[in-house]
Amino acid sequence: MFVGRVIGQVWATHKVADLEGKRLLVIDPLPAAHGSPDPSAPMVKPVVAADPLGARVGQRVLVAFGKAARVASWGGDGDYALEAAIVGLVDELEVPGAPSSWQDGEDEAC
Amino acid sequence: MLVATVIGNVWATHKDPSLEGLRFLVVQPMDALGKGTAETIVAADPMGAGIGERVLVVFGRAARHVIGKGHDIGFQTAVCAIIDRMELSGSSYGPHEDQDGNS
Repeated sequence: MFVGRVIGQVWATHKVADLEGKRLLVIDPLPAAHGSPDPSAPMVKPVVAADPLGARVGQRVLVAFGKAARVASWGGDGDYALEAAIVGLVDELEVPGAPSSWQDGEDEAC
Repeated sequence: MLVATVIGNVWATHKDPSLEGLRFLVVQPMDALGKGTAETIVAADPMGAGIGERVLVVFGRAARHVIGKGHDIGFQTAVCAIIDRMELSGSSYGPHEDQDGNS
């Protein structure tokens, strides 16, 4: 699970049937809080997640993976073509020393 | 789940029997600005995506479900959708990287 910022949305007509009707948002994980991260650390990539909560572009969200994501998207576990979902919309985040990109402000990401 | 661009195909004759009949693509994940990252991933492709197309890639149980050969299969990455349109950091992207005005 991680905290990230919604940076966009994707649309696909040709897709696996159980993605039908799912709103798919692109979320950029918030970067390391304290100075520059270890250069050997893996590069952070945006993640596509289902959004059952109606998040907006620029908003900070909680993203869960695996069974947690399937439960959040379908109300139970099962065979679904999806492994990431937004499970919370962040109201406040307090991380001392965090970069300014962690702050609230829906314009920053755009 | 990631957004990635298809950059190639890979074939292997000598492979785990559970992988017979699957098509494998080499895909390049995208960064937050819509550019390709340095990483490449191999994904099974039941959707029929072509080179240059943008796709959604899933992992683990979701990928084995998409592949549709049960859960005892020696692979954990699959293409689950071909993207028509994507809006990202204020820019709009089409289905194919060659057709973008802004990437």
